[in-house]
Amino acid sequence: MTRWSMVADLRRCVGCQTCTAACRHANATPPGVQWRRVLDIEQGEYPDVKRAFVPVGCQHCDEPPCLDVCPTKATKKRADGIVTIDYDACIGCAYCAVACPYQARHRTLRAEFAYGRATAPETARLDEARLAVATKCTFCVERIDDGLAQGLRPGIDPEATPACVNSCITQALAFGDLDDPQSNVSQLIAKNQHFRMHEELGTGPGFYYLWDKT
Amino acid sequence: MPAARSFGPDPWRQTQWDARAAANFICGGAGGGLVAFTALAQPQPATQVVLTLFGLLLVGSGLTAVWFELGRPWRAFNVFRNPATSWMSRESYAAVALFIAGGAVLLKVPGASWIAGVVALCFVYCQARMLQSARGIPAWRAPATMPLLVITALAEGAGFYWFAALWHRGGSMKLLLAFAVLIMLRYGAWLVHNRQLRGNARASAGLARPGQLLLLAGTLAPLALVLLLAALPMSMHAQFVLAAFAGILVLVTGAKLKYALVLRASFNQGFALPVMPVRGVRAGK
Amino acid sequence: MDTTGTRRVPTYCYQCVAGPDLLTVKVVDGVATEVEPNFCAAEVHPGGGKVCVKAYGLVQKTYNPHRITTPMRRTNPKKGRDEDPGFVPIAWDEALDLVCAKLNGVRERGLTDESGYPRLAVSFGGAGTPQSYMGTFPAFVAAWGPVDMGFGSGQGVKCYHSEHLYGEFWHRAFTVSPDTPTTEYLISCGANVEASGGVVGVWRHANARIRGMKRVQVEPHLSVTGACSAEWVPIRPKTDAAFLFALIHVLLHEIPRARLDVAFLGRHTASPYLVGPHGYYLRDPATRKPLLWDAASQRAVAYDTPGISEALEGRYEADAIEIGADDEVLAEGRLSGETSLQKLVAHMAIYTPEWAQDICDVEAATMRRIANEFIDHARVGQTIDIDGVTLPWRPVAVSLGKTVNNGWGGYECVWARTMLAALAGALEVPGGTLGTTVRLNRPVTARIDSVTPGPDGFMAYPLNPTDKARWSPKPNIRNAYRTMVPLAANGPWSQALGPTHFSWMFLDETPKGLPRVTFPDVWFVYRTNPAISFWDTDALGDKMARFPFTVAFAYTHDETNHFADLLLPEATDLESLQLIRIGGSKFVEQFWDVQGFALRQPAVETQGDARDFTAIATELARRTGLLEPYNKAINKGGGGVPLQGAHGDFSLDAATAHSPEVIWDAVCRAASMEVSDGREQHGLDWWKEHGLATKPFPRVNWYLYPELARQGLRFELPYQERLQRVGVELGRRLHEHDMHWWDTQLTEYQALPPGKDFSLPWRASLVAMGGAPDDYPFWLLTARSMQYAWGANVGMQLIKEVADNIAGHRGVIINTAMAAKLGIADGDIVDIGTPKRSVRGRAVLRQGIRPDTLLLLGQFDHWATPFTRDFGVPSMNALTPMSLDLTDATGSGADIVRVRIGRADGTTPSGRGSARGVSA
Repeated sequence: MTRWSMVADLRRCVGCQTCTAACRHANATPPGVQWRRVLDIEQGEYPDVKRAFVPVGCQHCDEPPCLDVCPTKATKKRADGIVTIDYDACIGCAYCAVACPYQARHRTLRAEFAYGRATAPETARLDEARLAVATKCTFCVERIDDGLAQGLRPGIDPEATPACVNSCITQALAFGDLDDPQSNVSQLIAKNQHFRMHEELGTGPGFYYLWDKT
Repeated sequence: MPAARSFGPDPWRQTQWDARAAANFICGGAGGGLVAFTALAQPQPATQVVLTLFGLLLVGSGLTAVWFELGRPWRAFNVFRNPATSWMSRESYAAVALFIAGGAVLLKVPGASWIAGVVALCFVYCQARMLQSARGIPAWRAPATMPLLVITALAEGAGFYWFAALWHRGGSMKLLLAFAVLIMLRYGAWLVHNRQLRGNARASAGLARPGQLLLLAGTLAPLALVLLLAALPMSMHAQFVLAAFAGILVLVTGAKLKYALVLRASFNQGFALPVMPVRGVRAGK
Repeated sequence: MDTTGTRRVPTYCYQCVAGPDLLTVKVVDGVATEVEPNFCAAEVHPGGGKVCVKAYGLVQKTYNPHRITTPMRRTNPKKGRDEDPGFVPIAWDEALDLVCAKLNGVRERGLTDESGYPRLAVSFGGAGTPQSYMGTFPAFVAAWGPVDMGFGSGQGVKCYHSEHLYGEFWHRAFTVSPDTPTTEYLISCGANVEASGGVVGVWRHANARIRGMKRVQVEPHLSVTGACSAEWVPIRPKTDAAFLFALIHVLLHEIPRARLDVAFLGRHTASPYLVGPHGYYLRDPATRKPLLWDAASQRAVAYDTPGISEALEGRYEADAIEIGADDEVLAEGRLSGETSLQKLVAHMAIYTPEWAQDICDVEAATMRRIANEFIDHARVGQTIDIDGVTLPWRPVAVSLGKTVNNGWGGYECVWARTMLAALAGALEVPGGTLGTTVRLNRPVTARIDSVTPGPDGFMAYPLNPTDKARWSPKPNIRNAYRTMVPLAANGPWSQALGPTHFSWMFLDETPKGLPRVTFPDVWFVYRTNPAISFWDTDALGDKMARFPFTVAFAYTHDETNHFADLLLPEATDLESLQLIRIGGSKFVEQFWDVQGFALRQPAVETQGDARDFTAIATELARRTGLLEPYNKAINKGGGGVPLQGAHGDFSLDAATAHSPEVIWDAVCRAASMEVSDGREQHGLDWWKEHGLATKPFPRVNWYLYPELARQGLRFELPYQERLQRVGVELGRRLHEHDMHWWDTQLTEYQALPPGKDFSLPWRASLVAMGGAPDDYPFWLLTARSMQYAWGANVGMQLIKEVADNIAGHRGVIINTAMAAKLGIADGDIVDIGTPKRSVRGRAVLRQGIRPDTLLLLGQFDHWATPFTRDFGVPSMNALTPMSLDLTDATGSGADIVRVRIGRADGTTPSGRGSARGVSA
């Protein structure tokens, strides 16, 4: 079996937002819709303060809360762990968005553009099917599927790897098959201490955060 | 420039469901509660028809409001696709069943009112479970959300019944007692829900004022009115006026509570780290 | 250009000084849609071939509807912030006629004016990055003759100024970097590498963290770099010199001398040089070479005597001569001298951690611990193999950030930093503190080759003359760098490294002794916006309004070109053609294992009527009769590569106006021959397909130490005899011309700098502005933003959107507890003011900042630039006074000002029409 997962090494991440920008490019999301974004988190009180940068987005959960609530079955979970949305089935009720504890889902009711009116790339890339329905990080599923079809290795070959991972300037983001003990993500998890976001909610996120070596 | 948006890490209010969604819970709950309470009350057939009709209208208006919130309203029928796991699908089926059963009541089909009452309860239950299943919102996913919404719906139904009693002049001390019990249960459910939100300052703050209102205007005041009309000698009209007033208070405070629950206390999960990353070396090394 | 189908076009991004990054642009049916890393470059690029967030703004930059895409002429003769320029579109012919009429008029009147200043001025921003976008315009400038490039837009105050000058003086370090791949302990005083180090800096430091490098961030606020460090030391602003002095004190006075790298100090620095009674080196009377004490023969010998054993400490007598300023013999005969190190030890005795703690607000124990950790990690005595060469391995480094290494105290901080490295033997060796690039010494393309023997066993340095015969009170340009700043040298970069604010300040009031500072007849502006980016921006705007003829190469309307007479739209990053050098060692942390070239090429058709900069430069040359010298300048290397060299002659016909394609084809051919050592000649088409070509760059060239050792040269540390002499000479020259306004600055020229609280000049400046210190209790600082730094990209919606994910991009950062004390809540509109001026913005409450400090990221406060003018985020630039008192001897200031803060009554943040600029 395959379980596509992502790893974010919080020791590496500097909050540069390159992944955010790369995702906006790769997926042509409208202004303000960040399927991948990086949070700026402070903990403690002056002068004992720590600050961390935390990439977030759809966690592609084992038990996705968005999946069960979806009344249309537009949200699906593939055998390889990727949670997808069928834009043609979605009614845009946003139930999934409020069910997601990771604030990963977006709904843009009408076309929005960076400077009010559409520029040439925005016109070229406007996808009416994604308006007024739920959208979120897909792990760049088309790249993975197309890449696999070409014999490429997701997480290693850029053409088959999510855009955010490709773009990361600190190697904080890694992508791979968690069911393969030799994969990069399995190795990273094995060699480092990690946690998953809101693990107590029982969602089984497919997104691991490294914070120290073992 | 697109409006500035704030994303975490602290929880922020969900913006996906607005007043239209709240209207579904407010109207749907009150309407469902009304149909159910009417079934329990078994008033005169004409009253039965009118109150059930009002109940259905309320449910219908709630559903219409939420239909307007759909991004893709013309695909609304897709909502029926996932009754296996989605409480929204189930709510939709329950709504259909309610309209069928309610329709039967309007057509004065014998025994239909009981069926409509049960189906209305189912509808209200589905609604309550729907909100509770939204696991991204701590104030909604609290276990007490379900009983709170169901009991609130019944209390509102009873409130509506007693408000309408100004016109239909029905009711009994037993029904009044049931009303009083529902008012108390509602506050009890609220207290339990409130306790389950302890530690969630934002959500609690969002519910603080409607909670206070619920206690004073939605619980103590109507109970006092009920007590008054039960204990003091007064004219029938005065009794109905007091009951109607109590009913209105219960309705309004319930609506306010649900509005606050959906829109004011609906802070999402936010983000928090159980541990901060180690950069280079651990502190002190 | 084929506009159908999908293509990935290789190109580069050099929007920031920490570039270039190599990227590809995905073009679908002729429309640029996505930026991606150039994965093919991963093998050669020291940042894994990744590309910075700023580059992702380039698609929006290309299609921004606010772009100026046709030449525009001003119709309103009145200039001012509140005057509508009334720009109207005109044809290129008309625009070029207009500018060339002015230029030809200048040539007729004479290239310099009555004060001797060039009539043509040109300003570029972004620390040299515009050069990677302006095609052959430098060749036009070279062909023109005297040009004043000293009207600054932030140079000196927004750069690492003292580091540039002193760094390059001491170790060819225009910018300084830790040897991040091998260092193990880094003290970072305000160096915000995670925001300003570019992809390579960020990449290298991320790897270092995982490797276990400990970085101690010493900074008043918890920057992104502080966040990513092992430890944060919240120091009081502008007191880093005291902190660093205390560390030196601990190394010299509290740990055994043997734990320092005494071998390095003895052989590779001037530590053993004997200093005479007047503070100058004791010299051999015959050869005039500095003397040191040979412990083996027990006698004083010249520093370069073979086989000696240098005595590091002690007082010795010798037959010697002591020579001061202007070759004056101060003493002769049997003279007693102390070693330089001995002088240093005595000098540092009083700068204890206890002395520093009151200045820095950092506990003495913390400083003591850090000093000990520093030397504990230094691995004194250990070696490492680099490219088969065995070198000392000293994995400890110190880096300095902006505001630490410029303005008053900058000299002391840079000196102390370099001394710390020297004491541990960690200067220019693996793991240590390194220079990355040279800009004042030649050749700029090869730092190691710039190491040439100079006086007294040190490297040569092109100091501006201070001797009576050659010093001149008549500067070549308005900022007077040659006259006032010997360290600024006199190369192409020097004009921008003088006191660039003087050009502005002296326009209305030229100080005694200098020729009256005049307005240039014609001013060209490109990729710079001094009207918002310098100090005292309102006053600057008023002066810009009086420039007689300003030509702005314009992207959108902005605050500087608001005052322009002519706007010329250039084809932007994804639309034009240029070849640049990559690799070797470059700004910030760009240390490569290869060197070569990369091409920027049109990925898409140019929008509107914008023109390739090279085409504009060629046309300017043609219409001003400068075609021949222009082409010759290109042939000489104006396009980045000499067209005639050992591997062939690709020279352009000097009499012809060539198209950009022809010019860059020739440059490409010369470059490919250079990079292949004459084996391969590739034209433009090949480069368009491949994007880049490289050859190996030996890693040993990252380090200066081997070359100095090979040439038997020493680092000019610790004692600054030469600078002391230069300072005295400069003082004499100035005084001979009755110029006394630079006397305070002259005090910086000290052989061993005294430790001070360098925040004092800013406190004094507050009083000078009429404020009482208690009423203005906050230090207002700024910090670079990774998303914006140097980028000239404020108009990009995408950048604004993603930058807002990082705290501080929406307002002024204030300590949470302090805000509570002042009754300020998160998001409140606050008023930040000096006695002269105030700005408004939203409060951003954070724990990670000192209670006495406020932080305004970046520099926004735009009032004309579309999109950006709606940010409502203020800038400190409007508040920072431009004054001689706050100018150090190198001509630089610092981004710091004392302010008050309070909740504003209104609800409007800063921006056009706000309270900004209202006098208090």
